[in-house]
Amino acid sequence: MSKKVLVVDDDQDVRSFVVTVLEENQYIPLVAQDGIEGLETIQKEKPDLVILDVLMPRGSGIRLYRKLKTDDELSKIPVIMFTGIALRSFLKSQKVLDEFGGGEIPKPDIYLEKPVEPEELVQAIEKKLG
Amino acid sequence: MKIRKLLFVTKFEELCYDALNSLLALRGAALDHVIFLNVIERDKVAMKRGSGYLKEEEVKLKETANIRFIDWAENLFELGMEVGAYIEVSSLIPEILKVVGKETPDLIVIGRSHKGTLEQLYAGSDVMELVRRTDVPVLVFKHMMEDNIVPEKLFERPLFATNWSETGIKTIEYIKGMKEIIGELHVMHVVKDTALKSQDTHEVQKVRKAERKRLDDLCDELEDAGINARPHVYVGDPQKEIEKAAKEYQASMIILGSSDKAAILERWMGSISKNIADNAIFPCLLIPGDKKL
Repeated sequence: MSKKVLVVDDDQDVRSFVVTVLEENQYIPLVAQDGIEGLETIQKEKPDLVILDVLMPRGSGIRLYRKLKTDDELSKIPVIMFTGIALRSFLKSQKVLDEFGGGEIPKPDIYLEKPVEPEELVQAIEKKLG
Repeated sequence: MKIRKLLFVTKFEELCYDALNSLLALRGAALDHVIFLNVIERDKVAMKRGSGYLKEEEVKLKETANIRFIDWAENLFELGMEVGAYIEVSSLIPEILKVVGKETPDLIVIGRSHKGTLEQLYAGSDVMELVRRTDVPVLVFKHMMEDNIVPEKLFERPLFATNWSETGIKTIEYIKGMKEIIGELHVMHVVKDTALKSQDTHEVQKVRKAERKRLDDLCDELEDAGINARPHVYVGDPQKEIEKAAKEYQASMIILGSSDKAAILERWMGSISKNIADNAIFPCLLIPGDKKL
């Protein structure tokens, strides 16, 4: 059975790119365009994998990632961060939020800095989903 | 009222990271979320005879804005703040209102260009149109010097000019929300010349005394809330006197309430806030009255 992959990104070009890559590789793509819609879709659809942007309207990927990783049920869903924000900044922000937001959360499974080639994205997805 | 979320409207020429940086003092109050908005004017990418819609130009402008926003966002994320961004080809005020609807910020920050009329998309009437159409306070950010130095301590010495209008209460509550970061607040009221027409010195002094008493009471209220406040009565043309007071007390910004009713009845905020937002060298925080639907 094909696996469901949710892409959360405010940039329509990026969503189209990822959806095309997913379809060509027999995954079922789901899309959300901001943090709030992303969380709603995750709760409703329980995707097998989330590809998550960071800088978005209505809730950044940083906060959404924390929500996922601190939720008993949703924390098992693997996440690939796919963003223009540097890993270094992402990790620093998580460190600050760990200190003030209570508790350390695991680092993202895979962190891809945009832009990436389709092959690199497929490789990352396959690494998580097999 | 706390300022938790700020909408930062920029076209990068007049409002950049240094301005944003000076606003980060608001973190000491409650700020933890910044939304960036860049509106690409339609005429920059509009369909032109012989060239069609300038898609390449749109992509270029969007990517340029995106790169700047990513850089700024990284700095803010590293401080543990929440950040969002919008880059849209649209008209300025409708787009701001749209984003305000989606994000419900507590403060809109917008720049004022010192350039020519065609370049003043973010200035003057646009600012007042925004104030008329939103309940959210608007900070018209300015570089106080000709060499574009950003006021570093924006909340160090604000000047609050009150005309005792109905928006006063909302403005005072908003100011109280910034108590942790305000250094010293100067509170002023301008008595118009027309109120001093009496030939009797005693009558003139009575007017001054009454206004001073109201200001004293207000300052007591603010001090009870934890804000160091000093009252001042000025006489004359409100716009000139507010600017004069701002200079005399080296104000870091001017705070004005803006009520629709007052604008119509007294031409106080409608004209004075516009003129000050347009002309004064000081950043201006305009607090709109509640809109009646």
